[in-house]
Amino acid sequence: MADKKVGKKDIAGLLEQWSQQFAVFAPSKESGVAAMAEWDGKDISFLDWYRNTVVPPKAIFLPPMEELFRFQKGKEGYNIEPPPKDKHKRLIFGVRPCDARAMAILDMTFEQALEDPYYLSRRKSAILVGLGCTNPCESCFCTSMGTSPTDQTNVDLMLIDIGDDFLIEEVTAKGKELIAKTSGLKGATKEDEAKAKQAKETAYNKVTRKLDTEGIKDRLLASFDDEEFWEKTAAKCISCGICTLLCPTCYCFDINDEMVKQEGTRFRSWDSCGFPNYTKMPMENPRQEKWRRVRQKVCHKYEFYPMTFNVIACTGCGRCIRLCPVNWDITQVIESVPARTEAKK
Amino acid sequence: MTVADTNQEFFAQGNVYLPHIAVIEKIVEETPGVRTYHFNFKDEKLRKEFTFQSGQFAQYSVLGTGEATFCISSSPTRRDHLEFAAQRVGKVTNALNRLGVGAEIGFRGPYGNSFPIDSLKDKNLVFVGGGIGLAPLRSLIWNVLDYRDKYKKIDIVYGARTPADLCFKYDLEAWDKDKTVNMVTTVDRGDDGWKGKVGVVPKILEEVAPSAGESVAIVCGPPIMIRFTFPALEKLGFKPEQMLTTLEKRMKCGIGKCGRCNIGNLYVCRDGPVFSYAQIKDFVSSEY
Repeated sequence: MADKKVGKKDIAGLLEQWSQQFAVFAPSKESGVAAMAEWDGKDISFLDWYRNTVVPPKAIFLPPMEELFRFQKGKEGYNIEPPPKDKHKRLIFGVRPCDARAMAILDMTFEQALEDPYYLSRRKSAILVGLGCTNPCESCFCTSMGTSPTDQTNVDLMLIDIGDDFLIEEVTAKGKELIAKTSGLKGATKEDEAKAKQAKETAYNKVTRKLDTEGIKDRLLASFDDEEFWEKTAAKCISCGICTLLCPTCYCFDINDEMVKQEGTRFRSWDSCGFPNYTKMPMENPRQEKWRRVRQKVCHKYEFYPMTFNVIACTGCGRCIRLCPVNWDITQVIESVPARTEAKK
Repeated sequence: MTVADTNQEFFAQGNVYLPHIAVIEKIVEETPGVRTYHFNFKDEKLRKEFTFQSGQFAQYSVLGTGEATFCISSSPTRRDHLEFAAQRVGKVTNALNRLGVGAEIGFRGPYGNSFPIDSLKDKNLVFVGGGIGLAPLRSLIWNVLDYRDKYKKIDIVYGARTPADLCFKYDLEAWDKDKTVNMVTTVDRGDDGWKGKVGVVPKILEEVAPSAGESVAIVCGPPIMIRFTFPALEKLGFKPEQMLTTLEKRMKCGIGKCGRCNIGNLYVCRDGPVFSYAQIKDFVSSEY
């Protein structure tokens, strides 16, 4: 079946239609910083300013803070009350391929061994509508990390900018089903498809930052005890945690209780391996020194995650480079990891 | 190691993050600062059906204060109640310390893998423990002693800083009396009444010099003791595959998601807490 297309001016109508069935999320600056937010029913100005969000879409599935349960202490002891079942079906419009790949990487952690019911209930019922990048940032290096500005692999539907329209690629069964039920779409012509192909090539070539990850797992393993290298690598880091909190593949969280009188809440909130308290135990802290924490961050993404899941936990979205207040640059770090033969043991 | 027992049926309401309510039945003051809590589930069905393996741990909560991680320190062969031991050092352990018999706590678990009990059969077992690190070992020791004829020689080398810091003194006495067990107790600093050995655990272990042939050493104690015990065992001829330990790290979720308890690519909660030295030796020197 031939692809469909939708006019840029018809996007509001399309989102309106999908809003009947889904809680629609789209890029927004409403909160002061670009993030995926529940669509307000009219504003599609993001089509003009959107390159990528500052807050990655993971925040919809793993919110910065969420309640795990409530509890009350009564005469008969404690009563535990889980949050109501999630009834929302979410449609995330405008997901970039780097962030879609990051969601697939996050799924591995939340699905493995014991399942995480909070993350997975939201994730499994959601539809990701990808929007191909036409204007990647200087800090982006997705083409080195197994994806590209228009990669459709991890979304349900992929939209490619072809001028006045978006070409719609139907990727998954879920995506096909949604398109079958969507009205007002036009059929794409051969010419549209040629334009999409051209757009993809142009976007691909705009990603100029490259990272060679060949053999990185082994290089990191060999350099694990190279304290001098890690000291140097960590020197300018201020342990603000932003590169992890806003990383689309980072998932670390903390769990805490709050109780007022006889009623309380247990909640989880984003945490970061960059923070000294992260691994602190009452008697000791294995990562008190900053270089150990920076080593953890780098090795987790480029060595440990590949060892466990066979994939590097970085998609080249470039956020950690763009957002770092001291210009720490993961691509420079990875390139400077000593080759195996030079590594100090 | 044995694969983690997932025991899906033990989750409260099918949700791995919801704790079961348990009731403290007895409190034993082990040392100034260390207590053993005997507890049972409030839910009768769970009380009957709950099972675990030596080495597994759980997340215990004082609701309103938070959760902390402790191994189940009682033996799965003795199931009229469960036990855990806690040293009063942090927020949750201090809150626990304020609880008395009859108080309710939250329990999530059992989590993690366990000691590979089947592969210990017909082996000489060398238990090396320090301080409160005896807690997971005693679960296994009692488990093994309840099926004594399945195992060969048993050595236990246990130490603490001072005689007052020795935990589970009633166990130490029982094992000392047991003719099938070679029990060696040591302290770093003795006092007037102390008649046992004086010296740090790795040094005393070298004196005891258990044979490495057909043997497995099971080690648990403070990180400093663990770091020096592995080389001592290597000197005695033990191979990294013959040394087991159970590690402790700060944990929040207990199920391999919250991120903080890793040693290299291994999560202590998901891939452990029981590891062979062979598994962790690349990272243990600088991460533990």
